[in-house]
Amino acid sequence: MRLGIGARITAIFGLAALVLSILMGGLSYFTTRHFLLAGRETAAQHQAFSNASLVRTALESGDTQYVGLLAQIDSGTGAHSVLYQRSKSYASSLSVDAASIPLELRKTVLAGTAATQTYRTAAGTAEIAVGLPVPAVHAAYFEVFDLSDLDHTLSVLALTLLVAGVVTTILGIAFGRFAASRSLRPLADVSRAAGAIAGGELDTRLDEDAADPDLEGLTLSFNAMVDQLQERIEREARFNSDVSHELRSPLTTLAASLEVLQADRDKLPARSQRALQLLAADMQRFQRMVTDLLEMSRADAGSVDVFLEEVNVGELVERSVETGLGHMDGMGNGSAPPVLVDPGVRTWRVGADKRRFERVMVNLMENAANYGGGVIEIGVGPGAGDWVEVTVDDAGPGIDPAERTRVFERFYRGSASGRRGTGTGTGLGLALVAEHMRVMRGTARVESAPEGGARIVLSLPVLDDDDAGLE
Amino acid sequence: MSGRILVVEDDERIRSSMRLALEGEGYEVRDAASGEEGLDLFAEAPTDVALIDLMLPGMDGFECCRALRRNSAVPIIIVTARADTHDVVAGLEAGADDYVTKPFVAKELAARIRALLRRARPAEEEPGALTFGDLQLLPEQGVLRRLNGEEVHCTRTEFRLLCELAASPNKVLSREQLLDRVWGYDYFGDGRLVDVHIRRLRTKVEADPAVPQHILTVRGMGYKLVP
Repeated sequence: MRLGIGARITAIFGLAALVLSILMGGLSYFTTRHFLLAGRETAAQHQAFSNASLVRTALESGDTQYVGLLAQIDSGTGAHSVLYQRSKSYASSLSVDAASIPLELRKTVLAGTAATQTYRTAAGTAEIAVGLPVPAVHAAYFEVFDLSDLDHTLSVLALTLLVAGVVTTILGIAFGRFAASRSLRPLADVSRAAGAIAGGELDTRLDEDAADPDLEGLTLSFNAMVDQLQERIEREARFNSDVSHELRSPLTTLAASLEVLQADRDKLPARSQRALQLLAADMQRFQRMVTDLLEMSRADAGSVDVFLEEVNVGELVERSVETGLGHMDGMGNGSAPPVLVDPGVRTWRVGADKRRFERVMVNLMENAANYGGGVIEIGVGPGAGDWVEVTVDDAGPGIDPAERTRVFERFYRGSASGRRGTGTGTGLGLALVAEHMRVMRGTARVESAPEGGARIVLSLPVLDDDDAGLE
Repeated sequence: MSGRILVVEDDERIRSSMRLALEGEGYEVRDAASGEEGLDLFAEAPTDVALIDLMLPGMDGFECCRALRRNSAVPIIIVTARADTHDVVAGLEAGADDYVTKPFVAKELAARIRALLRRARPAEEEPGALTFGDLQLLPEQGVLRRLNGEEVHCTRTEFRLLCELAASPNKVLSREQLLDRVWGYDYFGDGRLVDVHIRRLRTKVEADPAVPQHILTVRGMGYKLVP
């Protein structure tokens, strides 16, 4: 797995803070420990040395009250003394004896060398023992000092340094995140702008004045790219609108002239009447194709202005089916499919472009007539959440699940190809259904009808009282 | 039903075919290739309905509408390439009463013209005189005037719309009802026709069109007139 740049910056900051705090903490700890210990050692040696002198003086004067002597030395110092003489040992208190002195130290001292050793007892107490040979009286003097206060100080210090290290690391991570988001902010701006442009807001630009000097190149080339993109899209939209106008003009003439001819049809010879009939039929087809293609190219150019009206969904569907039947292309049977409206949703309000919705119903009915044996039922019922669903079931064999999203692609005919009826689909029918539904903020999908045919499900969001209404 | 129609259209072939089709429907047609020529023809002889293409060379259709509106209440139908553009609203705001899109069916165009001509004659069920605010509506005389006697000029469509609202004061009329009664449209009529005409009416009727006191919008329902 690759870490994102933000995560990497954060990790680097966190790691740096961790290493730094370990280094600093370790250094402070060991330095402090060294100095404290060295000080204690020196003090212990001084004390042991002067006490050893006392012991020597006492022993030289023939005092044999060892224990009393040692206790006297110890009193008030908090240390304990042990005296060896002629293989016997005497301790100043019951808490120490010869065995409390580390063996190694004992050996070294008894061999005649003064030594100091820091160690930890079996009970875990830190102690320092100073051993001094006293050759004049054939003895060795040991003094044991308790280091638990120093030990305590050092563990408090260690804890403090550990906490400081953790806090520093966390701060490092936090700062890393902050720095990452700070340094990535210009990129987030770019990403936001790109999203807005993809969403159709072609006027979006990055602010060139506010741009980070390091990213100026990016900002400039981004804006230049969008300028070019916008120009191309606008040129295309202009072209489409020009084409639209250019195609509509001859179509208007053709349609009007054809109507004049049709009005006078009875005066024409039979052959001409037949020719006129063909002309009229394909005129209608041609008109539909041009309208569909222009509709599609306008959708591509993003130059669709939408006017949604607040309408009752039940009435919308019923009226669209009713009027749509008359607008169907090449269908002979004008029998209306049953429209079943769930009484609970009849008066639900949706935002719709009525004429677009009528085109949707016409396209679906034509599609069903061409490929699905006609519509057998149209239903209106509640969908998930705040949605209402319109279902159009046909009598065909259904649509293979693998093809269900592809049928909404342009010019997709799939396995249904070759089964064209008298109807004359442009191959854009369902693509336009999807486009019209998208424009009305709805969706279209394919399912299986309970009877086995295909079911097209149209979903529209239901308006609530907060949605903008008229005007 | 006969009527005198002025067609302003720059494309010669469309003009000729429109003339043929409309004459076939029994109308008397005069045509012009530009807005300027159209205004001249309009001044020469009486016209019942003007049909104006929005895309004209020189003076465009919007300007032509506005010029006609300055001194006439003649019904105007604009011809546009597309229904779903702001051109339609802009054309209506320039004073048009209705619109058709290319390529149109001559029968449909004839139906639109018939609806406008019907409206230009007295309706069967006229509301009685109604006074609201400082305005007095006299449907029989086709007059809207202020209480000080000054006449408020409005187009026939605006007047007709006001009469429909006045026929049932305080009652909400849906856009579909208004489209049916005023324009003769079915359910699929364009609601923008009503909206723009209501807006135009408010500028003439309301003291402050932004805060209407008499012609009110009822959200999700339609419009009503409150005397």
